[in-house]
Amino acid sequence: MRQGLLCAMLILPLLSACSTSTHIDEFRMSSKQLDLNGGEKVVVMGRRHAGEYETEPDFIDCIGGKLAGGGQVPVVPEQQFLDSFYPWFEPRTAPLGLRRMGKMLEDPLIAERLQQVGIRYMIWVDGNTETTEKNGAVSCAIGPGGGGCFGFATWDKASNYEAIIWDLKKLDEKGRVKVDTKGSSYLLAVGAPIPFIAQVQGEACEGIGKRLQGFFAAGTSSP
Amino acid sequence: MTTMKLASARHPLLLPLILLAALLCACSTNVTVNGDYPSALTRKQPLRVGLVLDDQFSHYQFESDKDQTQPVTMALGESQVKLFSRVFTDMFQSSNTYSSLAAGNNQVDLLVVPQVEEVQLATPLETQLNVYEVWLKYNLKVYDSKGQPIADWLMSAYGKTQSRALKSDSEALNQATVSALRDAGARLVIGFERVPEIRQWLAERQSQSRLSQREAP
Repeated sequence: MRQGLLCAMLILPLLSACSTSTHIDEFRMSSKQLDLNGGEKVVVMGRRHAGEYETEPDFIDCIGGKLAGGGQVPVVPEQQFLDSFYPWFEPRTAPLGLRRMGKMLEDPLIAERLQQVGIRYMIWVDGNTETTEKNGAVSCAIGPGGGGCFGFATWDKASNYEAIIWDLKKLDEKGRVKVDTKGSSYLLAVGAPIPFIAQVQGEACEGIGKRLQGFFAAGTSSP
Repeated sequence: MTTMKLASARHPLLLPLILLAALLCACSTNVTVNGDYPSALTRKQPLRVGLVLDDQFSHYQFESDKDQTQPVTMALGESQVKLFSRVFTDMFQSSNTYSSLAAGNNQVDLLVVPQVEEVQLATPLETQLNVYEVWLKYNLKVYDSKGQPIADWLMSAYGKTQSRALKSDSEALNQATVSALRDAGARLVIGFERVPEIRQWLAERQSQSRLSQREAP
């Protein structure tokens, strides 16, 4: 009974400690929701022009999934879009601003393909998730009588992302969503390792995905 | 098992040597680059181009310095042939592949001979990140149909592993190299007409064809 209480006392603070904190800022150009008519679609793209970091493709897939949730917003997968428009949206050729995007759309080849694929809104996501601090150590050993791990390790992760919505029909910006998520994870090892992982990137995706979904009028899309 | 025992009895160093060789192999990364390259969205130039892919280019293999802690061998030839053939087919009205440069080819307007100038690699041990980075440097020698040199275009490309949670070193290296080749394709499509010597040659060719059209009765 006493042992169980001790374990609970040890584990409960850890469980509550591995929670995350998320801060979201949203900016809209207009209070009107964004329309999607007659098969118009959205594409979510990651920025990868900087050398020191790049927006993770699985994070972009996650946002796309959240946005498309329930089939409300038709989303074109990032890789499919990149292949359809190769080489115009590669890390070193993608337009960084609306002016450059406008120039690209002056090329009938790109404009026609955009119309064929049906892209109305392009959402650029810039940022990444990184480990900011690491402490402690866990060591494992194995011998003839068995093996085990012992120790305690902790690490902090931070996600910082900004999503910008471009309307390719009107060639203007419709809004921005900025998300900052922080969280600490722990690994306790007394014989077997017990991880308490904070879903930092998952929380950031949830936050940004839901806010982006809020930009689009529910049920306005037609297949 | 009996054979092994006999062999180790005759040659006591054989077994440790085999084990050492197996361990050394386990530390090195060997990759045959394998990727799919999409069709390029570009306007076809009204040119007949001969792409000269010699044996050295088609079977190019990169080997890192032997004194490196993480030696790498990367067979790049097949994948770069796939990329160049694809991009040239999309870029020009007609594109034929040759295995050597033959002077006086009347069936083409331009001959392009790509050569691998340099390959640089940054491994996770060097970057302290779980990613590979690859730099490719090509020299594209461009000749006219008479075999006269037009341009020497030094073109560089860069790629890195995108996902940090890949299963193996070889998968990560393959992804970085495919990404660098994709970048090389992008540079080819966008940069080819911007090379000053090629631009000048294209302009001269255009003015000549306009002149001959005017002179024609």
